[in-house]
Amino acid sequence: MPKDLHTFLDELRLLGPEELARVDKPVRPAHFDVTAILEHLAREKRYPTLLFRSTEDLHGRPSRFPVATNLFATRARCARALGLPPERDKMELSLAYAGLERQQVPSVVIPADDAPARQVVIGQDEADLAILPIVRHFEMDLAPVLTMATIMKDPDEGFYDLTFIKTFYKDRPRRAGLTIHSPHHLRILKKYEERGQPAPVVNVLGHHPAFFLGSLALSPWGTNDYDVIGAFMREPVRLTGSETWGPDFLVPADAEILIEGVIPPGEKEICDPFGEVTRHYQPQGLKQAFDVTAITHRNDAILQDIFSGHEEHWFLGSIPKEGSMFNSLQRQHGCIKAVHLPNSGAARFTAYVSIHKEREGIAKRVATSALLESWQFNWVVVVDEDIDVFDEQEVLWAVYTNTDPSRDVDVLKNQYNIFHSAAGHQKIIVDATRPLDTVFPEKIAVPASAMERIKLSDFGL
Amino acid sequence: MERIFWVECRQCHGKFYCDYTLRNAGLQLICPFCKDKFLPDEAASLDERWR
Repeated sequence: MPKDLHTFLDELRLLGPEELARVDKPVRPAHFDVTAILEHLAREKRYPTLLFRSTEDLHGRPSRFPVATNLFATRARCARALGLPPERDKMELSLAYAGLERQQVPSVVIPADDAPARQVVIGQDEADLAILPIVRHFEMDLAPVLTMATIMKDPDEGFYDLTFIKTFYKDRPRRAGLTIHSPHHLRILKKYEERGQPAPVVNVLGHHPAFFLGSLALSPWGTNDYDVIGAFMREPVRLTGSETWGPDFLVPADAEILIEGVIPPGEKEICDPFGEVTRHYQPQGLKQAFDVTAITHRNDAILQDIFSGHEEHWFLGSIPKEGSMFNSLQRQHGCIKAVHLPNSGAARFTAYVSIHKEREGIAKRVATSALLESWQFNWVVVVDEDIDVFDEQEVLWAVYTNTDPSRDVDVLKNQYNIFHSAAGHQKIIVDATRPLDTVFPEKIAVPASAMERIKLSDFGL
Repeated sequence: MERIFWVECRQCHGKFYCDYTLRNAGLQLICPFCKDKFLPDEAASLDERWR
């Protein structure tokens, strides 16, 4: 049986309610019911996948579509989705991800009649986004927003590019607003705009989580993302012709819901605010318009959503970047022990790197290299190898005890930053390693031999 | 970081913020709280402080 969202939810169901909690009481996603439940759970540090089985659409009517969210809210669950041991959810997971993104499994094309995602087809004249139970996430959000991945196809080279973008409901059945930040999507869009042609876009509102994790791989320009995703799925992605373009634009056959449409050249819509990954609202601005040409879905389709600015949004940033960043820095410096993009930095604008330090000055060289690994980074903190970069308390201890602000902190000015913060267009590197060029106190430690000899279980603990 | 400005809706007095490119673009802003549409100069108040 091909992997899809249903097969993964079946796996989680067997693990109990801390992995999959099914909610039967009716909820109104556009009225913050879903995000209020998620926020309550997050405050209790509980991160089950939630399946809301009785939802309301944007007309205020009972919806045929359940809503699934929080799929990516623990690193262990992300590991499980990739077929990895859930207990190896730190650097091993990130390195495994980096290994998968270098592989490809060619996709296969199946007839539309065999494609679950084409079981129900709603053509352009009948299409209405308001039939969906779209989630409104935060107080200042302009509208309910679809938060999953979109597909574009390069008009010259024919490869498919997938990334996460936001789709704003615009109070009209077939018009939405898209906020595209991905460089590859923007590059493809520019080609269509220069030709004065509408740019085809397909929104994928639900699939196996490995599909979406794979869509975030840092693939070079020209890579067919469907084939990269196949490596993450560990099986070929099944594709089928779209309703609007037939075989000229292939769509994932095992998706839950697909919204096909075009970005009309030159047309814009007011979008945002939206509660973003940084936990600030994105300011209102002018973004791409999107005209729906068809909606297709499975008979038993589930609408998938991301709880933005929370754990699952952050892990979708850290897991895909940490491994490739580790490999890149290790090739350059040879002393890298671990890399982590902490949730405190929204897993986007802060990086912690641990190194085996053999001489003074190497930490800043590593930090400078790390800044180049992502245009999103504002802060890089480098620590010694005995500091667990996945344990923020340890990292901050190193900063507070090892860092001499007059020597070990550097501010690089007039560097472009995309995220709003008080740092503006500055980048900060912090050397929090123990200085080697002066006498310095030693970190406390219970003798390793004692730790090895003494077992808690021997003492009834 | 791009410049932003805060807006107070002329109808519901809810406050939100916008990219500064909308300040003089001649486009109507949309209040996320009541969906009223208005030009920045029609807002109940603006906060354009920036440093």
